[in-house]
Amino acid sequence: MWASIAWRLFWRELSRGELWVIAFALFLAVGSVVSLSGITEGVKSALMQRSAQFIAADKVLRSSQPFEQRIVDKAEQLQLKTAQQMQFDSMLFAGDNLRLATIKVVSSSYPLRGELVLKRGNVITATEAATLTPGQLFLEARLFDLLGVAVGDEIELGMSRLQVGGVIVNEPDAPLSVFGGAPRVIMHLDDVAATEIVQPGSRIGYRYLFAGSTENLQQFESELTPQLSVHQRWQKMDRESAIGSALQRAERFLLLAGLLGIVLAACAAAVAASRYSQRHTQAVAVIKALGATTAQIRLIYGSHLLLVVLFSLLCGLIAGQVAIGAVQWGIQLYLPDYRAEFSMRPLWLGSLTCMICALLFAARPMWRLAATPAIEVLKRPAAKFTLDTLQWLTGAAAIWALMWLFSGELVLSIGLFLLCAGFAAILMASAAVLVRLAKPMAAGQSSARKLALANLKRRLWANSFQLITFSLAIFLALLLYFLRAELIGQWQRQIPVGAPNQFLVNITESQRSVLDSFAAEHQLELGQYYPVVRGRLTAINDEQLQQEATKDDRSQQRVGVGRELNLTWLSQLPDNNQLLSGSWFSRDAKAQVSVEAEIAERLEVKLGDSLVFSIGGQMVTAKVSSIRKVDWNSLQPNFYMILSPDLLADFPATYINAFYLSAERTALLNQLARLLPTVTVISVDNIIAQVNDIIAQVTIALSFILLIICIAAALVLVAQVQATLEQREQELAILRTLGARYAFLRNALLLEFALLGAMAGGFATLLAEVMLLTVQQRVFELPFSPHYNLWWMGPVLGIVMVTLLGWWQLKRLLRIPGAQLMRKVLQG
Amino acid sequence: MNTPEVHINAVKLAKTVKLTEGSLTILHDISLTINRGETVAIVGASGSGKSTLLSLLAGLDLPSHGEVYLAGRPLHTLSEDERAAVRAADVGFVFQSFLLLPSLTALENITLPAELAGIKDARSRGLALLEQVGLSARADFFPAQLSGGEQQRVAIARAFITRPAVLFADEPSANLDAATGQKIEDLLFTLNAEQGTTLVLVTHNNDLAQRCQRQYRMQAGRFIDSDLKGLANVG
Ligand SMILES: Nc1ncnc2c1ncn2[C@@H]1O[C@H](COP(=O)(O)OP(=O)(O)OP(=O)(O)O)[C@@H](O)[C@H]1O
Ligand SMILES: [Mg+2]
Repeated sequence: MWASIAWRLFWRELSRGELWVIAFALFLAVGSVVSLSGITEGVKSALMQRSAQFIAADKVLRSSQPFEQRIVDKAEQLQLKTAQQMQFDSMLFAGDNLRLATIKVVSSSYPLRGELVLKRGNVITATEAATLTPGQLFLEARLFDLLGVAVGDEIELGMSRLQVGGVIVNEPDAPLSVFGGAPRVIMHLDDVAATEIVQPGSRIGYRYLFAGSTENLQQFESELTPQLSVHQRWQKMDRESAIGSALQRAERFLLLAGLLGIVLAACAAAVAASRYSQRHTQAVAVIKALGATTAQIRLIYGSHLLLVVLFSLLCGLIAGQVAIGAVQWGIQLYLPDYRAEFSMRPLWLGSLTCMICALLFAARPMWRLAATPAIEVLKRPAAKFTLDTLQWLTGAAAIWALMWLFSGELVLSIGLFLLCAGFAAILMASAAVLVRLAKPMAAGQSSARKLALANLKRRLWANSFQLITFSLAIFLALLLYFLRAELIGQWQRQIPVGAPNQFLVNITESQRSVLDSFAAEHQLELGQYYPVVRGRLTAINDEQLQQEATKDDRSQQRVGVGRELNLTWLSQLPDNNQLLSGSWFSRDAKAQVSVEAEIAERLEVKLGDSLVFSIGGQMVTAKVSSIRKVDWNSLQPNFYMILSPDLLADFPATYINAFYLSAERTALLNQLARLLPTVTVISVDNIIAQVNDIIAQVTIALSFILLIICIAAALVLVAQVQATLEQREQELAILRTLGARYAFLRNALLLEFALLGAMAGGFATLLAEVMLLTVQQRVFELPFSPHYNLWWMGPVLGIVMVTLLGWWQLKRLLRIPGAQLMRKVLQG
Repeated sequence: MNTPEVHINAVKLAKTVKLTEGSLTILHDISLTINRGETVAIVGASGSGKSTLLSLLAGLDLPSHGEVYLAGRPLHTLSEDERAAVRAADVGFVFQSFLLLPSLTALENITLPAELAGIKDARSRGLALLEQVGLSARADFFPAQLSGGEQQRVAIARAFITRPAVLFADEPSANLDAATGQKIEDLLFTLNAEQGTTLVLVTHNNDLAQRCQRQYRMQAGRFIDSDLKGLANVG
């Protein structure tokens, strides 16, 4: 029987509003959680997949030992796709010409990710497509000139002769960081045995490439890792991505910002649920007086909440999934071969959020409602909105639980929670002070203003909660708006428009003047010439380094870098480098070296150690005078070892330089290649494009969150205004009967909300500025600069938002004829 | 004639409410006995404590002191929910301010107690009662669409739907014009006669009080020259 009563009451209540506010708040919470976590996952996996193209696989295992079948078998058992790849340096002979080249040997299945583009021709603009077949070699464009060969000619490599098949146009995993590498050649794995280059002791890098589902890859990695020898290690991917850390920061920012939106939505739900309960106090008392037990009432109102929760949950999950779908579709526009993966995580995260919000914010007032004693029928319900202590506690606990759930970090969630609590306390105190100040102001004002002030004062005093939620809502909207701008600005500063996108490597001393005049002729802005001398690190202090990891793992010898390093000498510390210890070369520094931090750690090098380099057969010794941290994300030439200028000045060096070339002038590169055939041009346009794509994606996600925050803020406002609706109806009825005219009531109403909005906007501005300045200095490490726009935007936003929403909800009250209003008030 | 069965018995009832400062005793030392099927009026000045007394007799509230028995059950020892069960089964109540649920129609308001008590033919009973109070045409109206008198009649119909053994009515004909008031009073006494319901009503109206078999007169929370007319009638 209770069910039909519950259903009937529910149905009628739908027209009253509070249930909708609760439903919409929960919907907003679920929808935003699902879409935000889904979208960040989507952007993250897009980035992973994009990065995967740069290693031609999802995962790469590097080895210095020949391929082991068991590893390939194991991968195939787990439904992973595999490919093999070897790389070594070797001489190419073509007639009288010979040249050292880096030979990449790949199996037919290469690449697993990204695209290998080969063309039949000797320039990258050739049009006829070609595929890698056994018996053929594909060359980097500059090798055609260097070797004097054409397509179809034969080239000797080791013991075999192979035919030139064409030119390499795009090699997905071509190295970017190796400035000054030898020209590249690609050949098929089936041909490598015949060359007889692979001999015990020859320096060959082996790579296993794997691709497949994230789950299978993880299982594979965890099973294989314990079986790996010292010669085998997983390739790290993160360094390749120029924005890995920026994205990580953005992800956390997205989630936390989204979380704050959810907290706002939850507040709206709590207010609406309290209001709902309060409005139903008398109905509950009546039903109880008519013989209903507390349990029956709980069933009735519990079922209302349950219906609302289920409805919101369902709609929220669907809407969230739709938003995810839309973003995945958007990513696909950027990344044609992006594979969208369906994930359950956003769905259960959304459901859990919904349950937490419903139980801890909305259920409590409903629970209290059911405990209303029957005798309440004899009392006029006090039109006062109150939250009991338990509600405050459960609400606070819920907020913290959500923060923890989202950030996944205990300390961070506690910190953020305390911060929010502090803000709320400050706002509460300020509201109290302001209400006191408003008292003398009311004297000597026009009557509409007096009424507005009086109303404001009464309601503010009754619950400064309203002012707090308004302020918090506006504060969050402002904070997010400005942080978003700051975050995007930071990324754009990392890759400013016009930053060098073409790097020139292998420039000889004599070519510098040719390049200079070429640049001058075409108005290209060249950067600094970085000298490069290639050398090998042979000893640390007096200890000789092993150049290769050997079979004998028990050897106590330290393993060296394993390849030639690009050494440079500079008198000034580069911009994107940061000294961790020691000091930079003094003017008359002699025989010193500055070492990059990661390699210093790997080689166990400390300040004061002396390093011995073999450069062109000569030994050079340098003392470590500093350890540097290098920003690998910056698109700048970076060096592991920087020597003091005195050491290398006499060695023949090549140079690195860079310039910016706009997309429509790329034809210049061909001219440059003809002019300086031995200079390698490395274009980082790809990477820059990738970074810009991701900035665009994250910007969309940020705007989306901003929108959610604004809706949540508006929702809080709506819930709050609704909470005072009945009281206002009564007042209006009385004022109308006493003869107040429409214009007077309207002015008083508008003024009340404008004042409230201005106050909330003012507080919000103050808090947002403090927060922004802190973030600016602590996180972005920018100089102190106030946000002038904020100071007018905050109050204006407050006034406009609060007034509009208040007016929108209350204007119909003003239009109800006095008699009808009177009747409505008197008859409940 | 059978010896009358005691239906409601109150012994030295007192009600004290806490105020922000100190406390206020609304009822002092009230004792009364009402037999089954009797009609009793409680009269007194506004604020004398009539509604409060009614709420104690109906088990809506608990007395601060004293005992109250309804059909032999000690209401003062029962919990809120146990009293609710008693009310659902045996008690009808017409509130001074009607207290219809605004979101339910006239008919739904009437059938509500029957549904709570799990009575099967709630709807047909409700329609019959609507007919009896002359509001058949208003079945689907919401309280806000009804006049004060109509709301009052709906409230009375609601009080009768469970065929309660006792009906408490708090000023059932206040706010009504003489003719309507008369109709409502007739209705109460008719139902009392038809169903043998014990009727306890609070009123300012002397005529109405005189139609009852006995009257209790209240002043400042006490009975004064209690039951004089009732005694006179017996004598
Ligand atoms: N919960 C309460 N708190 C404080 N005072 C109360 C409370 N309930 C009742 N009173 C007071 O007790 C007195 C009696 O109230 P009651 O409603 O019983 O009067 P009444 O006789 O029904 O009056 P009326 O004829 O006007 O309905 C009144 O003065 C009232 O203000
Ligand atoms: Mg009364």
